[in-house]
Amino acid sequence: MNAKHISLAGGVLLLGILPFLAGNAYLEHLLVLWMLYALLALSLNIIIGYLGELSFGHAAFVGVGAYTSAILSTQLGLPPLIGLPLAGLVAALFGLVIGYAALRVVGPQFAILTLGFGSILYTVTNHWVDVTRGPMGISNIPPLSLGPVTFTDARETYYLVLGLVLVVAFLCHALVNSRTGRAFIAVRENAPLAASLGVNVFHTKLLGFVVATAIAGVGGAIYAHYIKVITPDIMGVHNVAALIIVVVVGGRGTIVGPILGALVYIGLLESLRVAGPLRMVVFAALLTGTVVFLPGGLVSLWQRWRGNHKAENNATATTAPTTLPNAEGGAK
Amino acid sequence: MDFTVFAQQIANGLVNGMAYVLIATGLTLVFGVLRIVNFAHGEFYMLGAYLTYFAGTLLGLDYITAAVLGAVVVAALGVVANKLIFWPLRRDHEFTILLSSLGLALLIANSGELLFGADPKYVESPFADEILDIGTVTLTQQRVLVFAAAVAVLVAVYLFIRYSRFGKMMRATAQNPDGAALTGINIGLVHSYTFALACGLAALSGALVGPTVMIFPTIGNWAVLKGFIVVIMGGLGSVTGALFAGLLLGVIESLGGGYISLGFMEAIGYAMIIAVLLWRPNGLFSTARGLR
Amino acid sequence: MLGRRDLIAAAATLALAIPFVGPSAGALAQQPPIRIALIGPMSGTGAFEGQLGLEGAQAAAAIINAKGGVAGRKLELLNYDDKGSPEDGVSAAKRAIEQDNVDFIIGGWFSAVALSMKEVTRDKIITVMTSSQHPKVTEEGHKYLFRLNATSAMMSNFYSKAICGQIKPKSIAFMNVNDDWGRLELDNYTKLLGECGIEIKGHEFYNRTDTDFTTALTKLKALNPDAIYVAAINTSQGATIYRQVRQTGFRGKVIASAGNMNPKLVELSGNSLESVYSASPFVEDNGQPSMKPWLAEYRKSYKNEPSFIAALGAQGVELIAAGVAGTGGDPRAYDKIAAYLKANETPTVLGNVRFSDQGQATQPIHLVQVKSKQIVAVRD
Repeated sequence: MNAKHISLAGGVLLLGILPFLAGNAYLEHLLVLWMLYALLALSLNIIIGYLGELSFGHAAFVGVGAYTSAILSTQLGLPPLIGLPLAGLVAALFGLVIGYAALRVVGPQFAILTLGFGSILYTVTNHWVDVTRGPMGISNIPPLSLGPVTFTDARETYYLVLGLVLVVAFLCHALVNSRTGRAFIAVRENAPLAASLGVNVFHTKLLGFVVATAIAGVGGAIYAHYIKVITPDIMGVHNVAALIIVVVVGGRGTIVGPILGALVYIGLLESLRVAGPLRMVVFAALLTGTVVFLPGGLVSLWQRWRGNHKAENNATATTAPTTLPNAEGGAK
Repeated sequence: MDFTVFAQQIANGLVNGMAYVLIATGLTLVFGVLRIVNFAHGEFYMLGAYLTYFAGTLLGLDYITAAVLGAVVVAALGVVANKLIFWPLRRDHEFTILLSSLGLALLIANSGELLFGADPKYVESPFADEILDIGTVTLTQQRVLVFAAAVAVLVAVYLFIRYSRFGKMMRATAQNPDGAALTGINIGLVHSYTFALACGLAALSGALVGPTVMIFPTIGNWAVLKGFIVVIMGGLGSVTGALFAGLLLGVIESLGGGYISLGFMEAIGYAMIIAVLLWRPNGLFSTARGLR
Repeated sequence: MLGRRDLIAAAATLALAIPFVGPSAGALAQQPPIRIALIGPMSGTGAFEGQLGLEGAQAAAAIINAKGGVAGRKLELLNYDDKGSPEDGVSAAKRAIEQDNVDFIIGGWFSAVALSMKEVTRDKIITVMTSSQHPKVTEEGHKYLFRLNATSAMMSNFYSKAICGQIKPKSIAFMNVNDDWGRLELDNYTKLLGECGIEIKGHEFYNRTDTDFTTALTKLKALNPDAIYVAAINTSQGATIYRQVRQTGFRGKVIASAGNMNPKLVELSGNSLESVYSASPFVEDNGQPSMKPWLAEYRKSYKNEPSFIAALGAQGVELIAAGVAGTGGDPRAYDKIAAYLKANETPTVLGNVRFSDQGQATQPIHLVQVKSKQIVAVRD
């Protein structure tokens, strides 16, 4: 038991009692949104943070998952609990095909290619009216249920998503420290070098991409069953930008970063309501400022502070603050 | 097949495509010379359309003067954006640059909504409703103007890059920034000029396309997406590629919408770029690094 | 050592943290106001329509408050942005009910938003849906739900008679937006206009995100119809379509969909809307007692011209005020208020409104035409 474990346990405990501190149903609703965004951001973080590629198509996989589960439960009457893993599976299949095509290119080309695939999925969803009901969306989606427990209200959904977030966070942690995870980092830092050391760069990237899209699909399905209505907007450019913002503002390549980023995103947009018409302007200005001045995201503040602290303790001014977060970042 | 309709759809596609080319040229220049993926490019298109509108309504200028004034002012704004954001970040990670441009795009679009109002506006042009019958094809004078002005501007840009001193400096920087700096080229100046040129072109396309549609503060979204498709398809940094890809996209969208499905018109454009990239991962006209 | 970047970073963090310290709920006054949540599209593509609705409601509330309010209590309007999306509509309604504890909700400008929002407000709070025309809003509504706008069916029943009897095109082609409403319009008019002998030449659906319509209009023009029917809600798309219909060289009749004619559209469309017909519940000279003061208040406070959308906002406020005043002044006596509104005819700016048991309003509808860039009622 060391300080790291204690702070980790404290953090999880705090997350566990949060709904009881919220006091009203609306704040609980915001907590659910936070956890949902955290889950989606953690999945996108695998692509952005570990593979080092910027995906502009992630919202489309969220949408694929959401629509899969929604259609299965409203049209085929399947219990949502079966829909959930199926949503992940279908999203992963889409991820496999799209990743197989898109991961052949890197950098800006990859970003735009994923944007293109995402837009195609959006357009098809918008026009395949017989199945998706097009722009009208699907409404009256039944809530998730597990035996006698039905996840109707915000508090129940919060614990469900919190559980998933913790599981995914742990998996990410385990992944980073595994052989596969080290292959990810090697590919991110220097793909040709990794290839020369025997890492199959393409397969490594594809694996990461598929895992990320599967998690996104599950997250989308939970979202659909919680909000009870989905439209193609869930796949829109707006949501794409939101997810990237959450990951990068929080701190890409870390586990705490996306969770923190989701909190800031939801909390900031909510509290900025007092700014009235200036709300989105202030939001955009803060976002730009954060990206420009904190390229490593919010978690890099902690690392910087710690870096400075150590430097002062050791009385050596040579330890420069790390600008790029390491694999685990603030979780250490 | 009805030939009249076919010819009309081709003409529609060529005009739309030329507008895409004009938007994409600035985008591809900024990438080719400075290695910056600028998501805020569409917002400069939006500003160009709005400044033309305000120069017309508030200052009472005629359409052509208003459009030129709009382009000049936006070019200056581009230099400011470069000085404040892109120049200081030039040595940072590409994500940082890309995302700060995304932030800038959000900032400009939302400020635009606040300043210009949410109501749609219309850029008055004397050419907008005047119909020209060219053989069996019907086009408005404005649409012919979009095409002709774009051709003229592209030729001018080509000559500028090819033969002017600054054009040569831009090409040298595109090939090797450090090498260019060593030979005494002022890289900061090249940054400023490239941004002025790119943003001016974006604004000009906004001013030209403005009178064919309505303008509202979020049109930049549309412009930057079309621009990116064209740039990636043509090859990042390639002006020739942007020209071919833009016209191709316009015509294919128009024929796809006309003969296959209107609803999937945009998807057809995206499918095309995916096909091209799977065949040539770096775009149609991409070779080595540099400006073409 | 702290570098310059660290200082700026710290400042940025501080700036991020400041908004979290928001103000608490408003202080309790002697006579607490009646709180009405107005949920509409305040940003995104529907932002202009949302703004008009808000202005109309605010003008109506200002008139009522100047007369001392309702049962001695002022009306307070709280504004929420649904961005035109169902998800945001649900969030906004949750916030209004659970966090801000409002007494009434006015919203549902778009059908998709109305359909999802009604599930949040179901049997909980009196909800006045405004412009959405989808039949399911009231068919699957709840005991506290009211909808002001005529349904697509009511509109098309009225308008198709006018098209067959007064506009009289020999053949027609449709240019409809690809959503619930646009598809419903196509079904309704294909049936109704076909019944009176008008030949249906074809149709095109365009997307809510499209900006250029020349491809679709070239196809429709090639069908050589006598008239093109345009179903567009969004003002900027509508104006572009009306202009481009003429720019493609189409010289036949243009028919504008019912309920979507407004002064801004006429202003933006230039000459292309001249002598075009539409149907609208809104005409300025309808002789309603509350219309004149509302028009005056609206023109005094806002630079936009009064419109149908603005009048719907006003109607929502008038309806709530009448319901509270008619049942003794308790804004939370929802059962009494709902029963009162369904039993009595309520005078509003657009006419006397009656509600069915499902909460669907019956409004007078007028045939209107654009003449010299003014929308005027066509009287027989």
